[in-house]
Amino acid sequence: MEKVLLRNIDVADSHTLAVYQSRGGYRAWEKVLRTMTPAKLIEEVKESGLRGRGGAGFPTGMKWSFVPKDNPKPKYLICNADESEPGTFKDRLIIERDPHAIIEGTLIAAYAIQSHTAFIYIRGEFAFGAAMLERAVAEATEAGYIGENILGSGYDLDLIVHRGAGAYICGEETALLSSLEGSRGWPKLKPPFPATHGLFGCPTVVNNVETLAALPWIIDRGAAAYAAMGTEKSKGTKLFSVSGHIAKPGVYEVEMGYPFKKFLEADCGGVPHGRKLKGVIPGGASMPVLRADEIEKVNLDYESVQAAGSLLGSGGVIVMDESTCMVRAAWNIARFFAHESCGQCSPCREGCHWMEKVFHRIEQGRGEAGDLDLILNVSGNIMGNTICPFGDAAAMPAAAFIKKYGDEFEEHIRRKKCTVGDGASVSSSEFLVSS
Amino acid sequence: MDPIKFTLNGKEFVTAKGRTVIQAAADVGILIPYYCYHPKLSIAGNCRMCLVEIEKMPKLQIACNTLVTDGMSVLTGSPKVLTARKAVMEFLLVNHPLDCPICDQAGECWLQDYYMKHDLSASRFTEKKEHDRKREIFGPNVVFDGERCIKCTRCVRFLQEVTHTNELTVLHRGDHSTIALFPDTALDNPLSANVNDICPVGALTDRDFRFKVRVWYLNKTPSICPGCSTGCNISVETYQNRIARFKPRINEAVNSHWLCDEGRYCFHELTAGPRLRTPMIRQEGGLVPTAWEQALREVVNGLSGAPAPLAAVLSGRNTNEEAYLFRKLIEAIPAQASLEVFYQERPLTEVQKILMSPDRSPNFRGARDMGVSSNIGFDSLMDRLLSGSFASAYVVGEDLIGSSDEPEKTREALAKLAFFIVQDVRLSETAKLAHIVLPATHFGEKDGTYTNRKGRLQKLNAALIAPEEALHDSEIFARLLDQLGKPVSLAPGEIFAAIADEIPAYNGLSYAAIGDQGVEVGGGAGHS
Repeated sequence: MEKVLLRNIDVADSHTLAVYQSRGGYRAWEKVLRTMTPAKLIEEVKESGLRGRGGAGFPTGMKWSFVPKDNPKPKYLICNADESEPGTFKDRLIIERDPHAIIEGTLIAAYAIQSHTAFIYIRGEFAFGAAMLERAVAEATEAGYIGENILGSGYDLDLIVHRGAGAYICGEETALLSSLEGSRGWPKLKPPFPATHGLFGCPTVVNNVETLAALPWIIDRGAAAYAAMGTEKSKGTKLFSVSGHIAKPGVYEVEMGYPFKKFLEADCGGVPHGRKLKGVIPGGASMPVLRADEIEKVNLDYESVQAAGSLLGSGGVIVMDESTCMVRAAWNIARFFAHESCGQCSPCREGCHWMEKVFHRIEQGRGEAGDLDLILNVSGNIMGNTICPFGDAAAMPAAAFIKKYGDEFEEHIRRKKCTVGDGASVSSSEFLVSS
Repeated sequence: MDPIKFTLNGKEFVTAKGRTVIQAAADVGILIPYYCYHPKLSIAGNCRMCLVEIEKMPKLQIACNTLVTDGMSVLTGSPKVLTARKAVMEFLLVNHPLDCPICDQAGECWLQDYYMKHDLSASRFTEKKEHDRKREIFGPNVVFDGERCIKCTRCVRFLQEVTHTNELTVLHRGDHSTIALFPDTALDNPLSANVNDICPVGALTDRDFRFKVRVWYLNKTPSICPGCSTGCNISVETYQNRIARFKPRINEAVNSHWLCDEGRYCFHELTAGPRLRTPMIRQEGGLVPTAWEQALREVVNGLSGAPAPLAAVLSGRNTNEEAYLFRKLIEAIPAQASLEVFYQERPLTEVQKILMSPDRSPNFRGARDMGVSSNIGFDSLMDRLLSGSFASAYVVGEDLIGSSDEPEKTREALAKLAFFIVQDVRLSETAKLAHIVLPATHFGEKDGTYTNRKGRLQKLNAALIAPEEALHDSEIFARLLDQLGKPVSLAPGEIFAAIADEIPAYNGLSYAAIGDQGVEVGGGAGHS
C-alpha cells in the first residue's frame, strides 16, 4: 500500500517547506488554483470517496457542497486540530512532522467553498504542534501560497492558527466555533447547521486534520487513485493510533478494510508478555469496547466495525489484555467524560457525573445490586437526548463495558473487590488517560 | 402568512410558518413543559424538558428549537417522550438539595410542579451531592443559591439580551457549572429583580420578599404599577391586608414580561408610615381630630368663600374618575382657581428607559385628559405658589415640601396661605401645615382607571381594605359636590360612564370592557 498520510514523516526535516516541496508539496495547490473551479474540485473529492476522519465519517465533498454559493456572507474553513479523544494521537504526528500537508489541504478545502479566511484550531496542550504550524504558515505565506492574489490566481486567503484553552468539548465542531468566537466553549443547537450558520453566523466547514492532510495526495494523484484503495464504502487509507497492552504502540496508516486481528497481531506485534487479549476499543475512548472474540472477523473500515457493534471513530485503538480490570477501565473513562462534560444540558451535566460516581463506588468495593442496571438506565437516558454528541460519547462506553463484561462487574460487586488475576491489578489500567 | 398543517398527538392543526413546535402547541392549548425556554429570550435548548417525538426523526427533538413544517407529526406524550421527560426531571434533581421546606420558591417552583406532574418517583441517586455557593448576594435585590440552580441560563440571557448589562455568566464545567457575577460587579441595574421572576427554581430569590410569607397565602390582584406613567401591568400580592410584593403581569402592549425595580418596590414608600385615620382641623395648638361631617362643611365653607386665587393640585396617582370629580369640584366653586396635576421629571439612563418614564405620575396623562389643568403647567403653578401669588390651596395626595428642590422655601410659602386643605393618606410635612386635613386612600385600596403616557387606558383594582375612617378621594369629592348642590355618582363604573360621555377621546369606551390588558383611548387625547 502506498502511504497517503504518513508519506513524508520519516524524511529528515519533513516539517520544512523545502523538504515538503521537494516531495511534491504544494503541487496540488497550484493545480487547484490554475486548473480547477470550486465545483470541479468538490466533484473530484466526492469521487475520491474521502470521508471525514474526525470520527463521524461523513463524506467530505458532500459536506462542502452544503455551503450555499449565493450567500453574501464570508465563508470560513476551519481545520479541527483539537485532537483530545483519549487514545487518539494520529493528528498530532502529522501536525508535528508534516504541517505543510495540513496547510495545503486546508488551502484546497478553503478554495472549494471559496473561503477567504481559514483557521487551524489547535488543542491548547499542543504547544509544540502550534509552534510547528505557525512556523509552517509563515513559510508558506513567505512563499506566496497564502495571502493575496495567491500565485497570480486572484484568489486571496488568510490562514490563522488559533490555540484552544484545553477543553475536550472544543473538539466538537460547534463548541469549537463558540470557542473561536471568543465565547465559552459550549456546543450550539442544531439546526441551524454550520454549513449555513457557522462561525460568527456565516457559512462554515470544519474538517479534521487527517481529512485535510489527505487532500493534496488526492488532487495530485487523482480521485480514482484514492478510491482504488479501501472498500466499497470506505475508501482510501486511515490512521490508527494504537496504545495500551500492545507490543508496538504508535501511529499506523492502514488501507481501509484491513483485517483488525491481523493488524493487531502482525503489524502491532500483538499483546506482549504472553498475555491474552481481553478487549479493544477501536475508535477512541468514546466508542463501545469490543471483546477479543468480537474482533475475529472485523475489518478496519466504517461498516465492518459498526456491524460488530462499535464505531471506527477517530481510530484510537486502545488494547487491553487479560490483566485489565474492566471495572477500573470503565470508571477511568467515565471519570474523563464527567470531567469534560461542558455542563450545558441537563442529561450530560448530571448523568456523566452520576455514572462516574457509581462506577467509582463499584471499583472501590462498595457496589450494590442494582448498580449495573442503574448505570445502563442512566446511560440510556443520556443517549440521544443531549445538545451535542458528547452525551452519546459518555453513554456508549459505559453501557458497552457493562454489557460486554457483565460477569466481571457482578463479581466485583459481590466480592467487593477486584477479581482480575490475583486481585491486585488495581493499577493495571493506568495507561488510560487520567483526568 | 402561509398556513402550515401539522399533526399534534393525532389531531390536525394549522399554524403559521416560523412557529416552533412549543409555540404552535401552546397556540392550540397543549403546554409542553420547559425550563430554559422563555418567549422573550433566545433559545438555549439546554434543559431538555421539552423533548418531543417527531415522525421520521430517529431522535427526540426539543420543541423549543424545532420549527413546524408542513405535514409534521408531533407526539408530546408518547412513552418515549414521557421516559425522557421523567429522566430530565431526575437529572435536574440529582444535585438539587431538595430543601423545599426552607426554600422561598416553594409553592411557585417549577421543579416542584413538574415533579408532581412528570416524575413522582423516589430518587435513585444515592451518591454524595455536589455542593455550591449558598446565599450569595448578587445585588441589592437578588440573592443566589447555587445548589438549587438548574443552569437554565435564563438570568444570564436576560442580562445579555434585555438589559445588555451582562453582569452574570456561567463558570466551570460539568456538574460544577455555576452562575456567577463577573469580578468586581454587582447585579445592580434598574431591571435587576426580573431575574428573580424568570428563575424557574429557588436559585435566585427576591431579597425584599423572601421569608416574609409563603406564596400560597398571597392574595393576587391584577392592577397597574403606580411608579411612573409607563403603567406596567402588575399583580399586587397581599397578605393580611398588606402588600407583600408586586409581580409583573404580561402585557405586550406595555411592559411585556418585565417590571423595573423602582416600580416593583415603590409600594414600600407609598404605603409606609402611620395612616391618617380621621379628618383634622387646625385650632389653637395644632391639628385636632374632627368628624367627617364637620370637616367637609368647613371645606365647603372655606372653598365657597376662599381667598382668591386658589391653587388646586391633584396627585399623579389619582385615577381618571377622581380627576374628573376633582375638576368638577373646582369648577363648582366661585373662587378663581389654577388646577394642575403633580408632575416632575428626572433624567433616565439607557437601561432605565427600557421601561421607565421620566415622571412618577402614573395617571398624569389621564388627569390632563379629565381636564385637570389650567394649562399653565405644574412647574409654573409651583413657581407662583412660592412667589405668594396664591392665597389658598387644595393639595391632594402629594407632599409638596418632601418632593420639592427647595423644601424650606415651599414650607414658608405654604405657611402663609390663608386657607389650605390637604387630602392624603398620612400626615406629611405638607399636611402638617394644612388648616384642614382629610384622610384618603392610596392606589392599592381603590378601583378606577389610569391612562398611561402612551394613551392606554388600564384598570386599577383594589387589593387592600382601606382603614375604616379614611375615604376614597372620589368619595370626598362626591360628598363635597353634593354639599355644593351638584350630586354625582360614587361608583367608578358610573363615573367612567360620565367620562366616556363627556371626554371626546373616551367616547364609546366602557368600564367593563377595559379588561386586564387595557384599551387605547381615542387619538388626539394627549395634551402633552
